[in-house]
Amino acid sequence: MSALSLANTQPTLAQLVAPPSQTDGVPVATERCLRILGAELINSASLLLSLPQVASSTAQVLFQRFFFCASFRDNSVLRIASACLFLSTKLEECPRKPRDLINVFNFLCQLRRGHTPTILDVDFPKYTAIKNDMMDGEMHLLAKLGFNVHVQHPHGFMINYLQSLDLTSNKELMQRAWNYLNDSGRTLAVVLFQPPTIAAASIYMAANDVGEPLPLSPPWWEVFDAPLEDLQTIEALLRTMYATKVPKSLPLEEPIQVAATR
Amino acid sequence: MDRYVRLEKLGEGTYATVYKGKNRLTSDVVALKEIHLDAEEGAPSTAIREISLMKELKHPNIMRLFDVIHTERTLTLVFEYMDQDLKRFMDAHGGALDPVLCRNFMFQLLRGIAFCHENRVLHRDLKPQNLLINARMELKLGDFGLARAFGIPVNTFSNEVVTLWYRAPDVLLGSRNYSTSIDIWSTGCIMAEMYTGKPLFPGKTNEDQLIKIFKLLGTPTEESWPRVSEFSEYKPTFPLYPPSDLRVRLPMLDQISLDLITRMLQYQPHLRINAKDALVHVYFREIIQQVAAAEQAAAVAALAAGGGAAAHHHPGGPYH
Repeated sequence: MSALSLANTQPTLAQLVAPPSQTDGVPVATERCLRILGAELINSASLLLSLPQVASSTAQVLFQRFFFCASFRDNSVLRIASACLFLSTKLEECPRKPRDLINVFNFLCQLRRGHTPTILDVDFPKYTAIKNDMMDGEMHLLAKLGFNVHVQHPHGFMINYLQSLDLTSNKELMQRAWNYLNDSGRTLAVVLFQPPTIAAASIYMAANDVGEPLPLSPPWWEVFDAPLEDLQTIEALLRTMYATKVPKSLPLEEPIQVAATR
Repeated sequence: MDRYVRLEKLGEGTYATVYKGKNRLTSDVVALKEIHLDAEEGAPSTAIREISLMKELKHPNIMRLFDVIHTERTLTLVFEYMDQDLKRFMDAHGGALDPVLCRNFMFQLLRGIAFCHENRVLHRDLKPQNLLINARMELKLGDFGLARAFGIPVNTFSNEVVTLWYRAPDVLLGSRNYSTSIDIWSTGCIMAEMYTGKPLFPGKTNEDQLIKIFKLLGTPTEESWPRVSEFSEYKPTFPLYPPSDLRVRLPMLDQISLDLITRMLQYQPHLRINAKDALVHVYFREIIQQVAAAEQAAAVAALAAGGGAAAHHHPGGPYH
């Protein structure tokens, strides 16, 4: 391949060592919860908007990337999650009306607060507030990411791998692997690893789950250039995410407050 | 915005206004494309695509995007300045272009396209208005507002791409999983237009566009294009035209030129020649020789300029 790379951008060492939120005093565990919260919000909204999976996955990757460039202390989950999904519907050519996005996000926020969901009319102050937040958030997102908004996904690779491993008749394994891929958007795996590695990891986990023996001499993952350590790291990221309980008290609509003394 | 002085207006598009501009520091002339931000729709998707792709695509036959300036209400893209587009150039030269110039432009056009395709970018809107020419007769691809990156998974893309006249028949028939071949179809149409000075298929509607193509190339059938009838826009009531003689329609093209254009205007997308292969078509034989000679001369000059030892350090180089 030539110099132009449409491979997914990965965080720099400096960003990894000191993510903006942690520099601002947001605890590591809180940041992880906020990331999960945002990715889940994106996923729920795209289901309600009947968007294709790719729109949700792209938005999640943009969300994960953004928070290596900016902090949760300055940006609410709602602002960036809505901006990511708004942008991804344009990138993936499945546009939705801003009005529909605003109402879906408002609905999900009300649901989380335990309120009875209501429809927002365009002249409601709340409507304008969410809209401005989403539109400003989109520009902010584009500027912070320097317009690096291409996202490649592991799904296509996974299908190819499953076919070459002759696993396409094992429906349960395929479904599990697919689920792991979709769930990977809630973890840092999507910004730390390239799609082929994530695809291999999801097959690795699914095959272990259902006890499907795969070729070990040579190990099948080596054929796909995926080191075992990477597969295990991705598995650990997913398992940690599944084990994480996101506190109900985490703010969705406002940036997180950090105690003045650290 | 302080870095550039805005000069005269060059043109106005649906979502942007283009001005000539000048870099205050270097006095370099640039093109400033000001994008109006819509309070209802946010950043236009055309601008997002254009910026995200063009900032990466650096090639002599692709317009360079130097900078993006974001202010409160506008987004300004700073492009390299080009004198005019191919459409205006042709109008100014009385329509048809000299065959030597046609060949030269075709070579540059295909080089730009080959670079896009190698980097997995589809332009999707190739037309004379989007090909820019400067005073040195350099041709560059511009306006990537409809371009998109194509990944491994075959997405179903929007079929609202490419101006009607240059739109491939598979897209006109409703295909959504097109690929690089749609840009090749447009290139074939542009090639004919450069020689004749007139658009090859100036259709008015989707169906009229298809009919115009059918009249020249013959109405496709299940034999000439397997499964053509499965396309959503296919109608069994299409009038059945036999293929006409390209030599009559394009009398200024010789046998070799006709061979290349025929390979680009294939109905079945997978049969269309790709940009890389088109560049080594015999049609370009002389240019290829000139380019090779120029490259060799440059290499010799580099060696003479003290790079003599380099040959030993690069045993895989061209002189080995």
